[in-house]
Amino acid sequence: MDEWVGKERGGPAASHVCWGRGAAHPPRAARRLVSGSGDIKLTKDGNVLLQEMVSWGCSSHGDLGRDLRTPLSERESHPPLPHPPLSIESKMSLGMRQIQHPTASLIAKVATAQDDITGDGTTSNVLIIGELLKQADLYISEGLHPRIVAEGFEIAKEKALEVLEQVKVSKEMDRETLIDVARTSLRTKVHAELADILTEAVVDSVLTVRKPGEPIDLYMVEIMEMKHKSETDTTLIRGLVLDHGARHPDMKKRVEDAFVLTCNVSLEYEKTEVSSGFFYKSAEEREKLVKAERKFIEDRVNKIIELKRKVCGDSDKGFVVINQKGIDPFSLDALAKEGIVALRRAKRRNMERLTLACGGTAMNSVEDLTPDCLGHAGLVYEYTLGEEKYTFIEKCENPRSVTLLIRGPNKHTLTQIKDAVRDGLRAVKNAIEDGCVVPGAGALEVAVANALVKHKPSVKGRAQLGVQAFADALLIIPKVLAQNSGYDPQETLVKVQAEHVESGQLTGVDLSTGEPMVAAAAGIWDNYNVKKQLLHSCTVIASNILLVDEIMRAGMSSLKG
Amino acid sequence: MGWDGTGRDGAAAAAAVLCRRDGAVADYRDRPGGDCAPRDTGSCRGDAAGDGKGNPGAAGPGAAPSVRLWSDFLNVHLHPRSLYVIRQYLHDGDCGSLEAFGQGESLLQDPACLEELEDRLHFFVEECDYLQGFQVLCDLHNGFSGVGAKVTELLHDEYSRKGILTWGLTPVLSAVGDPQKSFYRVMNTALGIAHLCRHSSLFCPLSLNGSLGIKPQPPVTFPYIKYDASLDYHSSAIVAAALDALTAPYRLCSCQGSMLHFADSLTFSGRKVVAAWAALPLPALSGSSLPDILSAHQQDLPWKLLSSCREQKLSCCFAQSVVLRGICQEKSSSSCPGQPRSPLHSCDSPEQVLQQFLHTQFPGAFSTAHVLQQPCDTRPPFPQFFSPLLTTRGFLLDKAQGFSSAGVESIPVLAALQSSPGLLPLLSGLCRELRAPSARRWSSLGTAGLEHDDFQEALEELRTLAQCYETGLGAGGSEDEADSD
Repeated sequence: MDEWVGKERGGPAASHVCWGRGAAHPPRAARRLVSGSGDIKLTKDGNVLLQEMVSWGCSSHGDLGRDLRTPLSERESHPPLPHPPLSIESKMSLGMRQIQHPTASLIAKVATAQDDITGDGTTSNVLIIGELLKQADLYISEGLHPRIVAEGFEIAKEKALEVLEQVKVSKEMDRETLIDVARTSLRTKVHAELADILTEAVVDSVLTVRKPGEPIDLYMVEIMEMKHKSETDTTLIRGLVLDHGARHPDMKKRVEDAFVLTCNVSLEYEKTEVSSGFFYKSAEEREKLVKAERKFIEDRVNKIIELKRKVCGDSDKGFVVINQKGIDPFSLDALAKEGIVALRRAKRRNMERLTLACGGTAMNSVEDLTPDCLGHAGLVYEYTLGEEKYTFIEKCENPRSVTLLIRGPNKHTLTQIKDAVRDGLRAVKNAIEDGCVVPGAGALEVAVANALVKHKPSVKGRAQLGVQAFADALLIIPKVLAQNSGYDPQETLVKVQAEHVESGQLTGVDLSTGEPMVAAAAGIWDNYNVKKQLLHSCTVIASNILLVDEIMRAGMSSLKG
Repeated sequence: MGWDGTGRDGAAAAAAVLCRRDGAVADYRDRPGGDCAPRDTGSCRGDAAGDGKGNPGAAGPGAAPSVRLWSDFLNVHLHPRSLYVIRQYLHDGDCGSLEAFGQGESLLQDPACLEELEDRLHFFVEECDYLQGFQVLCDLHNGFSGVGAKVTELLHDEYSRKGILTWGLTPVLSAVGDPQKSFYRVMNTALGIAHLCRHSSLFCPLSLNGSLGIKPQPPVTFPYIKYDASLDYHSSAIVAAALDALTAPYRLCSCQGSMLHFADSLTFSGRKVVAAWAALPLPALSGSSLPDILSAHQQDLPWKLLSSCREQKLSCCFAQSVVLRGICQEKSSSSCPGQPRSPLHSCDSPEQVLQQFLHTQFPGAFSTAHVLQQPCDTRPPFPQFFSPLLTTRGFLLDKAQGFSSAGVESIPVLAALQSSPGLLPLLSGLCRELRAPSARRWSSLGTAGLEHDDFQEALEELRTLAQCYETGLGAGGSEDEADSD
């Protein structure tokens, strides 16, 4: 990754956030802090923690700036990353509780909040806050009071939001647009070939589970991992995948055109009081009681068999029972004889989704079984992978719940794809809910910066400087994009800005050439609410940090001492 | 059944027990490195203290001094799915360990972690033909009590009507401890007991400590075992041997009751906490019959309490389940002709002998007796810490024969789970010690994710629980009802 790390950009404001520390780590000084349970414990100092927070899970020699910058490369054939970095979300959630440094913890909190609200933009978030602090520090070191800078930030933010409203493109969210949005998000996270596969799967899954007039519930898209084949075999399954199989050797491994009975009924003989040894006198008596008890279970099994005969008749339609409770070998045997495929102990979270995918209702007793409560699936088959079995329930008509089956050769790949898919899903959902998108590839930031510079003269007094700092800080996004693709950040930025002023169109960075391009024409769209949230939270946090600057410094020196 | 190996080091590890008829709960972690000394050193020290005769031959394979972790003693191969490593916390060292109840609880509130645990659990549960229930082994003294609380809650929600038997473990505590650390330990223990009881069918504290309170008491001693209390390897072996015997009633193929009924028979009237007793080994002369052995202990029961409450001379209990193993084959050798010497000698089967014995010792208690032929296996890696007065099979030597030189390969065990008033001091003692914590302690505890109200609620639960064990006689009374005839 080091190839793309240009010159370190440690600003003075980085005194509390160690941006560009480079490879030279501070000695991992042990500091006494208070532990979670209240006693004094030995721990590392804040800077080390901050660095570990982001490099958590990958090599521990990562440096904050580098680690955060690399994932932010957008669109079209950027140089393939040897190891695509872990997404920042996973690092944040893991790292959150490790962070003790106040500033780092604040920024991490914003990033987490950003992830919670929009699901994307965490990297941009950290970058912009860092850059805002750096730009502000240029002025503060020259004697400008932090409060004035904060005021300027506030004015700039208002203006930026105005620009955002102006440039947003409201259009119908057809599949094409959604694919563009998902692609923009996914290509920053995984390599291009995989991103294209995921893009289609992600968009289709959201479109499938979408119900008109209702908010999209992404929980209806189950993400399932399978350590198998390669990551490009990731597919969308219009149905469900259960990670267990039928437990009877005679049950069919593949059933087509099947009825699906979802139930939560114990078909397992449980020892009850009569068998526990106090209520019977002789062995025969006990046998009798046990038999009577078994009969309960047999009756239940027979009810199911009856229903199967009723709906299937002589046709070769399949019948699948999926039970949340247990099914004992005797019952399995009885069901197998009738050609019924039975799965036991389905997970609770799958039970709800089963009825959504296949239709029908989940039954809590066998008393009122009717053909209406059955669901339907076009194909049910068992797949064995090593000692693990999977049951695919596919080709459901009109599923309201689908499964994204992620495949990959190893755990690392799976986690990485999983994170990417989550973000992709959120991006598609956001786009549908916003009803509008904004041009990506740094075009928005360039446009906002330009507008701010024009707006600056109308601001009174020294707050102008804050506006200027804000405008400069936003430009970090196109700069990092250029830098991560191997181009000179300044040169690219100047070209893009010039192009923007000249054409008046929203121009971003083309990562394959390093030249300016019109983002909308290239189909690079970002989420509107991600950008909005970014502008809001970055300003607030940067201002907050600036205003407690003096306190922070005091805190730092005491930490170091 | 894969039990012995798994349970052996169970004293402090929150370990799972996998057996075909039961479910499994996987909560493993590495053992503290320094605590487990090399096996051979340990056994030599024990033997040397007895008669100066070291027993290096008994150390068995893998006795290299590099043995440090519990997994090194484990002979059972665990399925990779049965392990779940908690990566957020370190298990050893001064910081970053899972030390507070709240931390453990919040660990399982993380959806990713919970899902992972559910998946693993499901993998094994789905495989069970007749799922009886779950045995949860859980540390009480650290954050694992919180983990255990959440795990039992999960099991309770997901598998209603299945037995959940929970064993709360505490390693032997060092006599001198940081008072604040001790306070947190007691707090974890109290919260653990309250929460674990809430969702379990039965809860049993298991520990060799004399007390679980702030002031540690000297650990339990056994007449024929010389163990080093500072070694988890030794203390856990004792606890595991007891556990192996205690859980036999529902693990045998021949038995009829399920875990749930086993628990129900002990925990009526809200007395969910039970105490464990064990005689390791049961002192018996080689070749003597069961009635002889038992009548020798009429006055003084040979078992020791493994639940850290004050031992009471008063033998009184509400209900008990007693398991005797490794004796009955000796019976035939000394059947004495003519007039039976005592009511015990007139019984036909070993079960009846034991039942009769319990009846005279604990009149009015609801007792169930189980007798197993098979003794408790103590071959390596079980530590060789037995007294030289024992034979290879764990019986007492006749004085004339001198000392035995061979290792002890098996021992007879008498163990019991009792719901008895003796638990009252344990439960009420915990409440008392936690009643007046200083405000300073509270402020820091708030950060560990524990609400004051939750804590008060847990204390209240403990108090209610304690009240179930009050007898009219007054706690700790000196009535001696064990006067047998």
